[in-house]
Amino acid sequence: MDSVSLLTGLLQHFSPTGAESEAVNYLVGAMQLMGFQSYVDSMGNAVGKIGQGSREIVLLGHIDTVPGEISVRQEDNILFGRGAVDAKGPLASFVAAASACRKSSDWHITVIGAVGEEGDSRGAKFLCQNYPAPEMVVIGEPSGWEAITLGYKGSLWVELGFRQPASHTASGQISACDCAVIFWNQLAKDLQLLNDGKNRAFDRFSPSIRSMKFNSNGFEDYASLKINIRLPQGTDFDALQALFTACIETTQITPEISILDYMPPYLAEKNTSLVRAFLSGIRKNGGTPGFKLKTGTADMNLVGPAWNCPAIAYGAGDSNLDHTANEHIELPEYLLGIQVLKDSLERIQGIQDNNSNTKSDQQNMLANAKQLAKDKKPDTIW
Amino acid sequence: MSTEIIANCPECDAELTLIDVMEGEIIVCSDCGVDLELVSLEPLTLELAPMEQEDWGE
Repeated sequence: MDSVSLLTGLLQHFSPTGAESEAVNYLVGAMQLMGFQSYVDSMGNAVGKIGQGSREIVLLGHIDTVPGEISVRQEDNILFGRGAVDAKGPLASFVAAASACRKSSDWHITVIGAVGEEGDSRGAKFLCQNYPAPEMVVIGEPSGWEAITLGYKGSLWVELGFRQPASHTASGQISACDCAVIFWNQLAKDLQLLNDGKNRAFDRFSPSIRSMKFNSNGFEDYASLKINIRLPQGTDFDALQALFTACIETTQITPEISILDYMPPYLAEKNTSLVRAFLSGIRKNGGTPGFKLKTGTADMNLVGPAWNCPAIAYGAGDSNLDHTANEHIELPEYLLGIQVLKDSLERIQGIQDNNSNTKSDQQNMLANAKQLAKDKKPDTIW
Repeated sequence: MSTEIIANCPECDAELTLIDVMEGEIIVCSDCGVDLELVSLEPLTLELAPMEQEDWGE
């Protein structure tokens, strides 16, 4: 199966979070056709292994998407479909590159299409608890073919509940809604103090109210805020608890606090053989490497600390298209991403580069990729 | 036995002693503090390391 057909088929199996099974079955079947030993694990993740060695690199993508089906269609060099960049494009490129690359007898490559990443990350949480740590892991998220993602901010979802006796507006008593506003303002102020002197969004706390509710039974009023705080590096759960405790002491308001979800921030080490392999792979294909620090979250936030091995995120595609109605991937970029992955996987395995590209080779490859993607025969270039 | 290489920082021209380095390694210039990438050993090529850029996205 060629790499564009693989991605097109994956996009045609629309798989919003919670309804991934048809796409998982499709991917497991496709991986079998491409030389993998593949199966569905007990959480519903698609898993494929290729290569015979005992050393392992995991390529972990996610197969679920946000809701909102987009008609799958190719217009010139552009393939539209929900998940084209977030993150079926990167996942399909993992399968294509792992299948195409030369394998050393020491290594095997495992590709995983995890479920639930756009929801509660149940697929990745299951892997953290049940899958032994590999030597290195690449997360499949769009970074653009020339860039490597090193870090993601963390995220905390909290619901704050405020109860007060029902009161008349003329009574002067503080209301449940007043409590919510006072508490939120204090929390935002405390976070702003922590942000002082930090210019990058990656280094700052970013709090926001995502929903607010009020109800009353005539005797008691109840106000609630569902809030999210994006967390900079170095923020641990204890620090967050201390933040809320300080807010309670300052305001003298004690809300009911329900932690809905927590993902710690994660920043990968730059000086690893994994990063070096990708820098080299990008350069070999005519690119200028860059590092990205993302203000969102990914499964890297979970498996990075759990597996404690070198980790990066990589994938062709423009992450500005994540979750949009215009989600698409440019096929020449998708193909270049596969080539970078293939070269990087070979380098990681210590396979000698027998095809060092000259500048003109690189320019020809780019031109060929564009032309052949347009002709819908893209796989012939690799 | 360790291997020593002398190179110059492309940013500030400081002389750097590189010990047991490998291709692709990120090195911090001891004078100007800039991150450098050892792009190749033969010929020895030091370039400014890729910049860190912020990006929205998952």
